[in-house]
Amino acid sequence: MNSPVIELRGLSHRYDTDPVLRDIHLTIEAGEIFGFLGHNGAGKTTAINILTTLIEPTSGTAKVCGYDVVTERRDVTRCIGYLPAEVRMYGHMTAAENLEFFAKLSGVTDPRKAVAETLDYLECAELANKRVGSFSTGMRQRIGIAQAIVHRPKVLFLDEPTSGLDPLGVRQLRDTILRLNGDLGMTVFMNTHLLSEVSKVCTTIGVLNHGELIYKDSIEETTRRFPDEASLEDIYVRMETAS
Amino acid sequence: MSDSTHRIITLARHEYRSAVRSRILIVLLGILVTVTAVSVYIASVDYASKLADYQAYVNAATTSGLDRIAPSPLAALSLLRGAMEYIEIIGAVIAIALGYLTVSRERTNRTLPLIRSRPVTSGELATGSLLGALGVIATLVAVTAVVGIVCVGTIGHDWINATQALKLFLGYLAAIVYMGAFYCLGAIATAKSRVAANGLMIALGIWLIVVLVLPQIGDTMDADNQIPGGLFKALGLGHDGEAQILTHFTTYERIRTWTEEASLAKHFERFSFAMTDVKERYRPFNLPWLLGQTRNDIGWLIAYSAALYAGLRRTFRNQPTIPQGGTQ
Amino acid sequence: MIATIASHQVLSLRRQRVFLALLATLLTMTALAGVLGWSSHQTIVRVYDEAVKLLASTGKPAPPNPFLLKPTLSLLSNMVVYIPLIGALLALILGHLSIVDDETNGTGRLVFSRQITRTSYVLGKIASAAAVLAVVLAASLLVSVASLLVVNHTIAVGDFGRLGLFYALSWLYLMVFALIGMVTVLMTRRRSIALLSAMGAWLVITFVLPQFTSGLRPTQSLNPITDPASTSQTFFKVTSKLRPYSVVEQYKQASGQILQTATAESVGQTIQRILPIAGLVLVLALVTVRLVQRHDFSRSANSE
Repeated sequence: MNSPVIELRGLSHRYDTDPVLRDIHLTIEAGEIFGFLGHNGAGKTTAINILTTLIEPTSGTAKVCGYDVVTERRDVTRCIGYLPAEVRMYGHMTAAENLEFFAKLSGVTDPRKAVAETLDYLECAELANKRVGSFSTGMRQRIGIAQAIVHRPKVLFLDEPTSGLDPLGVRQLRDTILRLNGDLGMTVFMNTHLLSEVSKVCTTIGVLNHGELIYKDSIEETTRRFPDEASLEDIYVRMETAS
Repeated sequence: MSDSTHRIITLARHEYRSAVRSRILIVLLGILVTVTAVSVYIASVDYASKLADYQAYVNAATTSGLDRIAPSPLAALSLLRGAMEYIEIIGAVIAIALGYLTVSRERTNRTLPLIRSRPVTSGELATGSLLGALGVIATLVAVTAVVGIVCVGTIGHDWINATQALKLFLGYLAAIVYMGAFYCLGAIATAKSRVAANGLMIALGIWLIVVLVLPQIGDTMDADNQIPGGLFKALGLGHDGEAQILTHFTTYERIRTWTEEASLAKHFERFSFAMTDVKERYRPFNLPWLLGQTRNDIGWLIAYSAALYAGLRRTFRNQPTIPQGGTQ
Repeated sequence: MIATIASHQVLSLRRQRVFLALLATLLTMTALAGVLGWSSHQTIVRVYDEAVKLLASTGKPAPPNPFLLKPTLSLLSNMVVYIPLIGALLALILGHLSIVDDETNGTGRLVFSRQITRTSYVLGKIASAAAVLAVVLAASLLVSVASLLVVNHTIAVGDFGRLGLFYALSWLYLMVFALIGMVTVLMTRRRSIALLSAMGAWLVITFVLPQFTSGLRPTQSLNPITDPASTSQTFFKVTSKLRPYSVVEQYKQASGQILQTATAESVGQTIQRILPIAGLVLVLALVTVRLVQRHDFSRSANSE
């Protein structure tokens, strides 16, 4: 059995007095592609913000790669890559300049080489010397992924990565995630709405409802457990209404 | 080189590169360099004619066999007074704009979470950004200094010597520290405001008080400035009479001094004027004496800047990476 | 329609507490000018008393009281500095806020999907800025009158009239900056660039132009009235032709005439000083109207 790369123990968070996450217990093992599902406002982005050390939880603990996100922030940030929901980056700079900057901040020894390799890997080397400000949503998303993986993290956090993408863009993204997981062995933690993509990409799913984790299991086990439902969408609707 | 130093340098380079690509900043810098050049040009033309008059006097005195020739009353560095005043006023606005752009750029581009999800501490972010901004400020100050020195040399016909160059260097070093303090102010005010533009307005409000209003109040309160042409002159009193009467105004003078001391701009002005021979009473003295005389201003300048830098570090530490009450 | 836009804008400024902030700052500034004027009065009286004693001890006759040399309204001479410095910056922000919300919130799209012409819209905006400035300046006038009554115990009708004229001129001058605040929003796509551009325009008008046309160093611009420096140089022979258009100098000189704190000149000359300011207001108003007519309100501006 693989060792856990993400561990949440009694994790809770509140904005002012509003509870956003309630007592979450969750373990994700190395090599998984985890799909985090939930309606708008369920607390998915807050969970990613905590796991990427951007905010501190109100109570409970969270560990990424064995490091605590509050007390060992620096170690956590060394092993993660992060793509926020709406990626923009420095519009007045070229894609390569943007990526080089982030590679250096992550301590990459040869940032220029890493950028070139990453752009080649993502098959978008032609974007290197173009200004990010002129990019379409799809192009920005690819450069966003490039910045998230330029330092070859162990865990990749993707927040609604398919939002705003056209069907072709969604398919490209799906292929990229599978390759990152297969070729580079990255564990992927993904917030998403698109259940059709989850069923095609993820190995495990978790469902968040009003800040509570109401379900977590592998895709195979999930479809086995709900034999009456035709699709993952039906399963999700049933879980949401039941809770 | 440690990892931390490496990251600070990366952030500083990034700050520098982003700033020099900002069109509005380039326009403001252009305004500063142009007005500096004009102010030095105007002063230099005037200086050249006075220098010619003095030379004519020296020639006439030598020909007539006078063995005691009055020393030149002219001071080449004082031609840079306008340049220093522009740094005091416009330079501070540019520094605030730089600080504002540092914070608003990351917000607009939504890159702060990307930076903070890497092994970068808030202290490194503050130091790196400040160093990058100081690089921009130093470039700007160097350009205005070169323009000033060349104007004084070519138009005023008086090239500065090594001692003057050292004094000028210290004056411009103070300018960099002074503008660095306003950079911190701009960044702090912006980072603390939910809407960045409001932060800019607050910083400009503070600038207005510190740079323009407080020194103006100090000047207005000067007893001698109460009547056009001078109050003591109107009363037929000389320097001794003025000093004697002012002994009855110690509390008043103390309040006036406090008002001026509260202004960072006034400290920069006093020090830079001492370094550029603007005040005639400073001209006969050497550099160590001048530094001793202005130690109070140097101390305040450093104290204000250090406090604002500490404030910048603190603000960056407490600044929410994700907007409060943001998406869930 | 114009009235609807104007009243909505005034309400919006009140809700954002901009109106209150403007009023508080302008009144503080007026009170400060009054306190400094009072302090100046006290200082002259005390210095005079001490001087009389000192001169008497040396057997010299007492000089005439220099306070009599000061015109009554010179008590408020600092207002002539504060209006172009603080007042103008406040007016810039007022003009900026008048337009920027419709840009950043996208409400401009909603407004123009109704039956309203762009001219009515912009005239409503200008009218609201004009009204807000008029109200805060009227409040400042009251504080000025109170300061004069506290120090001099009386105010002549003529002086009251002069004060009224000074505030009318100040209103005109501040309108220049309110309009610059609007124009810069309409000409840029980012809020920060609009603010910084407006700030740049203010710096140029307040500090740079006086240097070009009259050789005034920036700190000299902080004084109520400053005569042009030596302008015999060829440079100034050219640039001094532009002096009538250096509105800050014209404002200060005209204010000096109205408050009788400057060397007297004819009424015609003073009017000639005011005309460029009025002309600039007119030109800027026309530019604002034109820009609103051509502006693309379908795209939201960046709120940063």
